[in-house]
Amino acid sequence: MKPSIVLVVGTFLAVLQASAVPYIQVLGVAPDLILIFAASWAVVRGYDEGFWVIPILGFTRDFISSDPVGTSALALAPIVLLAAVVRLRAMDSEFVPTAIVVAAGTLLYGIISIAILRATGQDTPVTDGALVVLPAIIVNAVFTPIVYFPVHWLGSRTTMRILGPGRISMPL
Amino acid sequence: MRVISWLIVVGFMSVSSIALSHQRGLDPVQNLSLTVTSPLTGAVRDLSEPINDYLLGIADRGGLKRENQELRAELERLQVLLAKQQNAQQRVTELEDALGVKQNRPEDRLLAADVIATDLSALKRAIAIDRGRGDGLDEGMVVLSRNGSLIGTVSRAYQDYAWIQLITDPESAVNAQVHLNAAPSSPTPAPSPAASPQPSPSNTPPPETVLRLIAAGDLRDGVTLALLPSDARIEPGNLVLTSGHGGNYPRGILIGTVTSAEERPQSPFKSAKVEPASDLSNLDTVLILLSFQPARLSGP
Repeated sequence: MKPSIVLVVGTFLAVLQASAVPYIQVLGVAPDLILIFAASWAVVRGYDEGFWVIPILGFTRDFISSDPVGTSALALAPIVLLAAVVRLRAMDSEFVPTAIVVAAGTLLYGIISIAILRATGQDTPVTDGALVVLPAIIVNAVFTPIVYFPVHWLGSRTTMRILGPGRISMPL
Repeated sequence: MRVISWLIVVGFMSVSSIALSHQRGLDPVQNLSLTVTSPLTGAVRDLSEPINDYLLGIADRGGLKRENQELRAELERLQVLLAKQQNAQQRVTELEDALGVKQNRPEDRLLAADVIATDLSALKRAIAIDRGRGDGLDEGMVVLSRNGSLIGTVSRAYQDYAWIQLITDPESAVNAQVHLNAAPSSPTPAPSPAASPQPSPSNTPPPETVLRLIAAGDLRDGVTLALLPSDARIEPGNLVLTSGHGGNYPRGILIGTVTSAEERPQSPFKSAKVEPASDLSNLDTVLILLSFQPARLSGP
């Protein structure tokens, strides 16, 4: 995927996140489409593509947020590490590792975001943050299929163009 | 090894950006990105709002009917109250004119703004509006709903856009007051025969007392009143208003209504939850109070 397309997709997801997604509240939190997309892409397409996709998504998100620019880029970075770890998995499935990366990535994203906000002088209480981050782990994992399957389909098409037709992998 | 090197590079880039952003060096870029995305965000918001309302209506039809009946009854009660208040207000104005009393907020100058986005962070409660420094906004200015209740303050102002920190944000703390019906906290001891004669209790209702406290934002509960004295007779339905203390908010702006009070045994304090008067998750237009300059008190 070209960086320009990632930028467009990232902007589109950020726009959705800032407009329509807040209406979808489950357990008091809204799903984080950008995080789920970043995790899905890093698992499906490999963490080496995550090297450049994740910073682009992170910075795109920060420019439409009130957080200091760089917060999301830094908080999303552990997803690459997690995607590299799940590459060593024993199972022949991409969906379950993606859901695991989304859940673990949400936890790390929350911890890093709280740390950055506190470091920049914003008094986000850790207990309050935990009460938001913990449900977000479940909510993001539950919403993973909505983003994962289109990403898997898109990823397979890109690979097919490179290698020729043929089944690359099962979506589940 | 590649992953570690990459993490170091991204970490360095991010920390540099955070530092630059904290020093406001990236404000023009953020202003530009909101300029580019705001038409799209606004269009998606306009589209998704009625769909959301429709789906909620289907899901909670019984609740809506019940709420409608309750609101009709409430409206009738408030109309009666309003009629009495108008009469009282007229008398107050006449008396203030006669005594030459300085009015608290003689002429509020308000600027309307459209909400264009909700903050992406789950750790904040903030909205973006389509007005900025170019329209006379400054950080700390008070923001009201269309009906005049408190929504929050301008937390970050760019040239054409601004972020509003809502009163439900964990960083928000508003000096507030609650009007309570006073009642004795402990039984009055019976007068001894030797004691001097006490004035007999009158039949008038107990005087109203004002409790001053902090209405703090809370990510889960919205707005809470903490550290309430355990004998404070705070009840669901009590109105919470700004007290004006600290000089950051004008006095007498409605914040919300107490929905529940939580009392812990053996604790010297209790807390209460407040429902904001305005539906903060569904804001379209807000009003910025230009005529009030917040004190922005700093230090201890």
